[in-house]
Amino acid sequence: MAILEVKNLSVSFYTRDGETQAVQDVSFSLEAGEILGIVGESGSGKSVTCYSMLGLVPMPPGKIVNGQALYHGQDLLTMDEKSLRDIRGKKISMIFQDPMTSLNPYMRIGKQIMEAVQIHEKVSKKEARERAISALREVGIVDAEKRVDAYPHEFSGGMRQRVMIAMALATEPEILIADEPTTALDVTIQKQILDLLKSIQAKRDLTIIFITHDLAVIKSLANHVVVMQKGKIMEEGEAQQVFNQPQHDYTKKLLAAIPTTAKSFPSKVTESTPVLLDVHNLHTTFTKYSGIFFKKIEQEVKAVNDISLSIKQGEILGLVGESGSGKSTFGRSIIRLIESQSGDVLLNGVDLTKLNAVELKTARRDFQMIFQDPYASLNPRMTVFDTLAEPLLTHKLATRQDVGHQVNQLMDDVGLERKHLRKYPHEFSGGQRQRIAIARALALKPKLIIADEPVSALDVTIQAQVLKLLLELTDKHNLTMLFISHDLSVVRFLCDRVAVMQHGVLVELDETETLFNNPQHSYTQKLLSAIPALN
Amino acid sequence: MQELEQGRSLWDDALSRLRKNKLAMISLCYLVVLIIVALITPWIAPYSYEAQDLILGATPPSSEHWLGTDSLGRDQLTRVLYGSRISLAVGFTATSVALLIGVLWGTVAGFLGGRVDAFMMRVVDILYALPFAIFIILLTVVFGRSLILLFLAIGAVEWLTMARIIRGQVLTLRHQEFVEAAVSMGLNRWQIIRRHLIPNALGPIIVYTTLTIPSVILLESFLSFLGLGIQPPQSSWGSLISSGVETMEEYPWLLIYPGLALSITLFSLNFLGDGLRDALDPRVSKD
Amino acid sequence: MLKFLLKRILAAIPVLLLVILITFLLIRIAPGGPFDRERQASPEVIENLNKRYNLDDPVYVQFFNYLGNLVQGDFGPSFKYPNRSVTEIISNGIPITAELGLYALMVAIGIGVVSGVIAALRPNTAQDYIPMSMSMIGICLPAFVLGPILVLIFGIYLGWLPVSGWGYQAYDKVLPSLTLGAAYAAYMARLTRGGMLEVLSQDYIRTAIAKGLPKWKVVLHHALRGGLAPVITFAGPAAAGLLSGSFVVESIFQIPGMGQFYLQAAFNRDYTMILGTTIFFASLIVIFNLLADVLLVWLNPRLRHSTLKN
Repeated sequence: MAILEVKNLSVSFYTRDGETQAVQDVSFSLEAGEILGIVGESGSGKSVTCYSMLGLVPMPPGKIVNGQALYHGQDLLTMDEKSLRDIRGKKISMIFQDPMTSLNPYMRIGKQIMEAVQIHEKVSKKEARERAISALREVGIVDAEKRVDAYPHEFSGGMRQRVMIAMALATEPEILIADEPTTALDVTIQKQILDLLKSIQAKRDLTIIFITHDLAVIKSLANHVVVMQKGKIMEEGEAQQVFNQPQHDYTKKLLAAIPTTAKSFPSKVTESTPVLLDVHNLHTTFTKYSGIFFKKIEQEVKAVNDISLSIKQGEILGLVGESGSGKSTFGRSIIRLIESQSGDVLLNGVDLTKLNAVELKTARRDFQMIFQDPYASLNPRMTVFDTLAEPLLTHKLATRQDVGHQVNQLMDDVGLERKHLRKYPHEFSGGQRQRIAIARALALKPKLIIADEPVSALDVTIQAQVLKLLLELTDKHNLTMLFISHDLSVVRFLCDRVAVMQHGVLVELDETETLFNNPQHSYTQKLLSAIPALN
Repeated sequence: MQELEQGRSLWDDALSRLRKNKLAMISLCYLVVLIIVALITPWIAPYSYEAQDLILGATPPSSEHWLGTDSLGRDQLTRVLYGSRISLAVGFTATSVALLIGVLWGTVAGFLGGRVDAFMMRVVDILYALPFAIFIILLTVVFGRSLILLFLAIGAVEWLTMARIIRGQVLTLRHQEFVEAAVSMGLNRWQIIRRHLIPNALGPIIVYTTLTIPSVILLESFLSFLGLGIQPPQSSWGSLISSGVETMEEYPWLLIYPGLALSITLFSLNFLGDGLRDALDPRVSKD
Repeated sequence: MLKFLLKRILAAIPVLLLVILITFLLIRIAPGGPFDRERQASPEVIENLNKRYNLDDPVYVQFFNYLGNLVQGDFGPSFKYPNRSVTEIISNGIPITAELGLYALMVAIGIGVVSGVIAALRPNTAQDYIPMSMSMIGICLPAFVLGPILVLIFGIYLGWLPVSGWGYQAYDKVLPSLTLGAAYAAYMARLTRGGMLEVLSQDYIRTAIAKGLPKWKVVLHHALRGGLAPVITFAGPAAAGLLSGSFVVESIFQIPGMGQFYLQAAFNRDYTMILGTTIFFASLIVIFNLLADVLLVWLNPRLRHSTLKN
C-alpha cells in the first residue's frame, strides 16, 4: 500500500508577467521503503512538486490549482496548518541542496536538532540532547558529544550535510525528501553522503524521495524513477527499465546528453607538434592580513604550488580537481588575472610573467578566458553587439564602421541568430549566454583559451550542446585550450590529456585514456571511483 | 546588419517599472513643479519677501494673502516660496558635494583594494564616529552663518555613507566575472571603470542621491530652526517653522504651511528614492 | 572577549583625541574671544582674564595643559559662569538629556522593531503597508514640526498633556519622548523590515519551517537574531542623532537639558564649555558605537569565533 500518493497535482505561480504553470497534472505514488528518484533539469518543477506537499511554496505568488497529496489517505494539501505541522518534520523530513546556508548560523547544531525533536515529542531537554548526539553519531560525526555544541561554521560542507541529515532523521520520520543533497558537494564527498543515505535507508527501512538533476546519482540509488520536464511527468517506471529501455524521447535525450565516452576523434597532436604554452614552477600564494592600520601577515595559502606543465598547439588539456584545489587560480595565474609569486609562463617562447603593463595589454590578444557563470560573465548593461565589439575595438582590429561584419560572423560561429545582437544578456537563457561568452573569447582569434568550468552551470542537455560547440570550434580554428573542470566525464569527453590537482599540487598528468584506465596516484584513483557511473 | 531588433536594456525595464509606481510618479511630478516654481520665484512671487506691513500684522489666509501673513505683515506664501529656493539649493548643492567626494573616495578604495582600501575605509570609520551635528553647530557659530559654509559642512557629513555604498558596489562588481573578462581582453583601468563599473553602479548611486537630498534639506532646516542657518530677512523652511513655533497658539498657519511644504517635499523625495530602488533592484527584475 | 574589548577601546582613543584637537583648533581659529562681550572691559582686565585662564600661553601648551586636566576628569572652569566648573554644568544638564534620550530610544526600539517585524511577516499586504506608511510619515515629519503639532493637538486643543517642562507635572515627559523618538522609531521600523525580509528568505528559515516549527517560533528563534543586525549597526548613528535631536526637543518643550547649555556656550565663545560638551558628546557616541560593535560580534557566532581567535 502506498504511503504517499500524489494525484493530478498542478501548481502555478502568479507574478506580474502572468501565470507560470510550474507543475502540471503530476501523479505518482510512493511505496513504503522505496527510494523514488525525481529527475529533471532546471524549471522542470521537480522541487516545487515536493515543496508544495509540505506547504513550503510561498503563497502568494504560488497557488495549488488542483490535485491531492494523500499521506496515509489524508490530503496534505487541504489540511489545516497545525495538523500539517505535526507531519512536517515528524513524519516527513527534508534535507536541502546547500548545506552551507541551510543551517542557522546563529545556533549551535545540537540546539537545532533538539528543537526538531522537542517540537514534536514531549521529551526532557536532557533526553533531546541524547537524541541529538545519537543522531549525529549515526550520520558519522566523530566525537558527537563535543561537536553537538559547535556552530555550523565549524563544519565543512560535507559534514554540514551530515548534520542536516541527522536533524532530519532525529524525529524518526517515515519519509525523507532529499532535494539535490549532493549537488553542492565535491564528487568524493558526494559519494560519502550517498553511501550514508543508502546505509541509513537499509537500516531504518526509510522511504526516500530523491530530487536531482543528475541521472547517474539516481541510477546508483533509486528503485523507481520519475522524469520531469517543464512541470510535467515525461516518464515513470522502475529504475532499471527507465535506464535500460527509456520510452520517452526526452528521457532518451537526457541519457544521451551525459558524456560517457572518450573523445570521439583522435588527437591531432603528435610528437612533432610545437609547444604553445610552457609553465615552469609556477607559485601563487594568497596572503591573509590582519591588523587595522599596519597589516601583518596572518596566514599564507599556497593555492598554486610549484606547478609545471606544457600544452601543445591544438591540444585540449583538462585540469581537474575538487573545490579548493587551486585549479582556477592556476588558470588565472597563467593569464595574469592573478599575479603569481614566481615561475615562468612561456607562450610561444615569450614569458608572460615578465611583461610590463603595455606589453601585457597587447599580448592579451593571444589568450582569452571563458568563465563559469554565464549570468555573471556578461556585463548586464551592454548589448551583445557591444560586448562582442569591445575586444575588437580595444585592440584596433576593426573600426566602428566595419566592426559589424566581424560581430555578425561571430554570432554565426557560435550558432546564434544575428537578430539577437541588439538584445541585452538578461534576455537570453544560460546556454545562449555561454555561447555569447564563447563568441567574445573567440573575437580576438586567440591562440590559447582558458575555459574555467564553462559548462558546469548548465543543464545537462544544454551542456552537451555547448561541449559539441567547443569541440567544433577548437577543431575549426585550431585552438589550444586549458579546460578546467570538476567533472571527470566531461573532461574525458573533451580532452587529449588530463592533469589532476589537489591542494595546489599537480599530482598526475597523462593521456586521457591512460589516466582513466590506469590511474597512478591514489588521489586520482579515489576521484575516479567516486564518479557515479551510468553504465 | 539585417534586421534591427530593438533590445530592452535594464534601464528601459526600470523605467517602465517606475512608471507603474503611481506614488513615485506623483512625487516626481511634484518635485519637477517645485523646482520650476523655485527657479522662477522672483518673477511670480506675489509680494517682496521683505516687504513689511506692520499695520496689517498677522492675518489668517485670505484671498489677498493665500497663506496669510506673519506678525510683521509679510506675505507667507512669498516667504515659503523663497524658502523653497534656499532649501532646494542646499539640498542639491550639498548632495553634489557629497556625491563627488563619496563617489571618488568609494571608487578608488573599492577598485584599488588591499591596504589602500583598508586605510581609506578606516578614515571613514573614524569620521563616522565624530559628532557631526555638533561640529556643524560649532562651525556655523564660529565662522558666522554663510551659505557656502553650510553647503560644504553638510556635504562633508553626507559623503561618508555615499563612499561606503559606492565602495561596496565597486568591490562586488570588481570580482564579477565580466570585469575579469574585461581585464583579460586587455582593457585598461579607466576603460573598465568607465564602461563596466560605473554603468553598473549607477543604479545605487542614483537611488542614494535621491535619498540624500531629503536628509540634507532636513539638516539645513534643523540648523535654521536652532537659529544657526539662514539669517532674517531671508527665510528657509526651517527658519519659518522655527518662528512659526513661537506663535503657534495665536497664528497656527505660520507653522502649518512651511511645515507642510517641508514634509511634502521630504515625502516626495523619499517616495521617489524608494520607487527608484525597487525599479532598479535586479532581484525584483529577475524571474 | 576581553582582549577584543580592550582593542576596540584603544582604537577609540585616537578618535577622541582627534575630536578634541579639531574642536580646540576650531575655537582658536574663530574670530572673537570669550571676553568680547564683557562690557567695556579695559585691555588690562582682558589681559588679566587671559592670564588667569592661561590664554596667553602658546596654543600647543594650552592644548596639552587641557589634555592633562582632562585625564584627571577636570573639564576646567566655565568662562561664562566663572563660579561654576564645566563638570558641574554638565553633570546638572546631563541627567535630563540622558533620561530624555533613553525614553526616546525605548520609544524607537519598542515601536520600531515591533512594527518592522509585523510588516516583514506579510510583505506587500495591508499589514506591511500600514506600518510602513506610518514610518514614512515619521521620517518626513522632523521633530521640530512633529513636536509643535503634537503640542497643538494634545496640549492645546485636547488639553490632555502638559505642553512643556520636564518632571514638573505628571506626564510632561510623554510628548518630548514621543517627539524625539518618532523619527528613530520610523528608521528602525524600516531597517527591521529590511533585515527581517533578508533573513526570512534564507535557506535556514526554510529548514526551520520544514522541521514543523510554528511561524512565531521561526521568527523569534531563527529570524530575529540575524534580522536585527542592521538595527544594531544603526545604534551608533541613532545615539548621535538622538543627542542632536534633543537640542530641538529641549528648546520646543523648554527642558533644561544639555542642549541649551551647548548652544549658549557656542554663542558665547565659552571655550572650556564648548570643548567639554563636545568631548562629552563625542565620547557618548563613541561608546555607543563600541557597544553596537560588541553586540554585533556577540550575536554572531561566526564573528565571535574569528574575533576571539585573534
